[in-house]
Amino acid sequence: MSQGKLLATALAVTTGLLVTAGTLWPSAVAASYSGGKTEGILSSTSTPEAAVNDLTAQLKLHALAKAYSGLANKAEFSEADFERDLLGIGLSLRTYATLDSVEVRPLHQSNTDADLTMKMHWSSVVGNFDDTRDVHAVKVGNHWALNWPLKHESPVPPQVIPVNYLRWDVIYRGAGDDWGSQDVEAPHVRIVDMHPLSRAEGVVVMGELLNEDVVPAFVSVKATLVTKAGETLDSEGSFDMISHTLLPKQVTPFIIHFPGTDLSKISTIRMEPTSVLVAASADPVVEIENQQYQEGSGAAVTGQLTNQSGHTVNVSHVLTTFYDANGQVVWVGGQYIDRALQPQTPVDFRVPVPQDLAGKVKSERTVVSTYIQGNS
Amino acid sequence: MVAVAVHLPLLLMQLPLKSYDTNFHIFFASHYAQHWFDPWNPKWFAGFSQTTYPPLPQQWTAILSWVLGLNLAYMTVQFVGILLLVVGVYRFAALWVSPRAASYAALASVFIAAEGFLVYSAGQLSTTVAAPIYLNALPFLFQWLRHGSWRSFLKAFVLLVTAAAAHHVTLIFGSVLFALPIIALAWMDGRDSEDSDKVSAPALVVRIVSIVVVAGAAIAAVLLPFWIGLIRYPVTQTPIAHASRANFLLSPEAGINYFVVPYGALILALPFIVIRGSSIRRLRPLLLGFWATFLLGLGGTTPLAPVLLGRSFNVLTFERFSYWATLLCLPILGQVIVEAVDRFRLKALIPIASLAAATCALAVAWSTYKPADASNLNVDSVALWLNRDGHDHYRYITLGFGNKLSRLAMQTNANSVDGESNSARMLPELTQFGGAALTSSKYFAKPGLDSLRAMLNHADRYGLKFIIVRDPYYDPLLYFAGWRQVDSLDDKTITIWSKDGVPPALPMNAAEMPTHFQGLIWGTLPVGFSLLAMLVVLLPEKRLRPEHVTDAAYTREHLVSGGMVS
Repeated sequence: MSQGKLLATALAVTTGLLVTAGTLWPSAVAASYSGGKTEGILSSTSTPEAAVNDLTAQLKLHALAKAYSGLANKAEFSEADFERDLLGIGLSLRTYATLDSVEVRPLHQSNTDADLTMKMHWSSVVGNFDDTRDVHAVKVGNHWALNWPLKHESPVPPQVIPVNYLRWDVIYRGAGDDWGSQDVEAPHVRIVDMHPLSRAEGVVVMGELLNEDVVPAFVSVKATLVTKAGETLDSEGSFDMISHTLLPKQVTPFIIHFPGTDLSKISTIRMEPTSVLVAASADPVVEIENQQYQEGSGAAVTGQLTNQSGHTVNVSHVLTTFYDANGQVVWVGGQYIDRALQPQTPVDFRVPVPQDLAGKVKSERTVVSTYIQGNS
Repeated sequence: MVAVAVHLPLLLMQLPLKSYDTNFHIFFASHYAQHWFDPWNPKWFAGFSQTTYPPLPQQWTAILSWVLGLNLAYMTVQFVGILLLVVGVYRFAALWVSPRAASYAALASVFIAAEGFLVYSAGQLSTTVAAPIYLNALPFLFQWLRHGSWRSFLKAFVLLVTAAAAHHVTLIFGSVLFALPIIALAWMDGRDSEDSDKVSAPALVVRIVSIVVVAGAAIAAVLLPFWIGLIRYPVTQTPIAHASRANFLLSPEAGINYFVVPYGALILALPFIVIRGSSIRRLRPLLLGFWATFLLGLGGTTPLAPVLLGRSFNVLTFERFSYWATLLCLPILGQVIVEAVDRFRLKALIPIASLAAATCALAVAWSTYKPADASNLNVDSVALWLNRDGHDHYRYITLGFGNKLSRLAMQTNANSVDGESNSARMLPELTQFGGAALTSSKYFAKPGLDSLRAMLNHADRYGLKFIIVRDPYYDPLLYFAGWRQVDSLDDKTITIWSKDGVPPALPMNAAEMPTHFQGLIWGTLPVGFSLLAMLVVLLPEKRLRPEHVTDAAYTREHLVSGGMVS
């Protein structure tokens, strides 16, 4: 063979080998664009875990039709049911959530079937939420397929729901007064409890804020840590760990995190609540049912939310204040509900409390903030 | 003339304005136009230094904008880049193949998809200006290495420095990939020539070292503020995802975007390029250079780029490697076309011309089929809103504005904490998570949204009071995080959210702020060198014996396997 032909052949073969290697064993970065399967096209469903990984890759790519087609029990439900299970009915956090990662824990395995727990970490616009499913894997021929544990979520039947709620409207000065320079006094709000706490990750400041006024208020709380030398150490806000819209006489908990700070260096905490008059209504009414505090490992408040109104609540945020025997705030926790609250349809919630504080909790109070698309 | 006929109408239609990065370059140019000697730009990232990006194309856009306006000035600079490419490809190809084949290569450069993709879809002005300047420098570099001509040395020197002032990535990676085949060619030609014209290995090494040292020193001086910034504030931020790093077989969409479109019909010619490039001994260095660049351009499709580039793999984008690979193979392609036309006449010419036109058309049209986010958004109403009633006393961010972020920044007096220059940003909320511009947070999933949440959490710190939203996806976050919708624009397709209690924005006293001296260097040396380059290349060149031979030497009957042709 001539040198030229040899070179051409070498280049072609080397290119082929490199492409083959890159496709069979892609780098983690390259694989991340195809659902994260580092097995590349060698990927098979030869084990129950591999079947879960395969499903995970499809879900990461939002290839729901392909994911559905690979399920062992797909005859039991339609692809639309499968999509509704993952994306929810109506606009919710699930609608545009992306699957970030999945933890797989095998529970049991035989030659023909296996049970695994799939903990899916989804990423949504307001933060992450987890969805844990126990899946049953079955061996079909020489590969494994999953029985998807479908959670049925049925659309609400047509009906008329009478509502009777309080509502406050505000008449503004005019078009020029469009962004906050209001000509009315700000609603009176007051911090009724404030309590700093030293944690491993830093300082947290938590408490409760009361709207003392007879009009609704849009509130926020900012805390500034001042050192013994009088210097400002850090300043943070309550962000989403507060219920911003307060009706008259309503109380919201708040918690403010100061990561990486040391409580012993702080002499003063300056609290700055802000309030603005806003239009508001008591609708939608979200009832909290079966609320109970579960002690022990994984201590949390659990219960159910039921939307009593006729609107679908697209996103809801549960905030729970945990109190000790003296009625002092021990912790403030929150959880976003990943599914929309359909009218009259209960949805579970669970707000955990840190294990080291769980023993101090004697009572708790839960409030719910709601977001309805187009009502902001 | 073909380049004028093909690209001038497209540029006069201002087609690149729809691309991803064009507005970014125009934004930089608009700052230079107003603050020539002050590269500190307060409009993005609460203030950032434009010395983080080599300035030449933007500075020329700024200069021309005083007469033509920014958009047309950009198109003019881009057009000059396209014309320089044709000239550069011809001169570069003429080192390797016959003038006729070089002419075909130059003609092909008008139609190559990689150029169309970068100009009209990606909007990479700096890449598409720097590479042609390098190509024009290479023949002078060859003459210097081969014959020791000081006039060539001078021309190569000023052009290399000018190209470096246009784009840093092309300087660091592209220049090496272009120069190595030239060095190999000079060595081969020098070794195999007659005694009087031989170049000894030590002489060649001395010439290489001398041009590297002199040009390197000049580049260090011209881009001094850039290097100072890079050394003091190295890019340590979390890598941002880019689909050009994907495996194109496992991610077919990325494969289409970063392989099929940028190469077009050239994919069909690849076997012929490899065969002809390997069969002619003199073309082998070029073939190997093309092959290495081609493999790097495949991103994560092969293990080569991740292994060779290490951490840089997670920072670089690889469409420009495909562009360079295309340029490197053009001389061989020209030779292949010559042979095909000689052998098959019209039967070859018609399909080749048709495929070239189709390749160019697809690349140009790609920005229509795969438009950048918000490419049709008009930001005039938003700019007017920000400029009135003291709204510009505060900082703002946009959500869902895509590449119109830069356009808005040009039109408003208000400053933002967001921006499109990933290497320039220093705010920890932007660098720690792996998201790119906040306005496109959702496309970066968890990293992007984490970054957005961190920024919203620290709104007070930066005087960030207004969020302008074109994508209701973000509404729940703003609602729960304590922002209120206070206004809407354009039939409520754009909503404006505000946060109460935010203090007015104060100028950031950033350590990255360039000194006055750095601003002086930045404002004089890059453009100064480009002017010098224009003058120096006009110096008449001493006639040197051509290295190439006629077409006949390359025809099939003259090819001897493994033998030297030229």
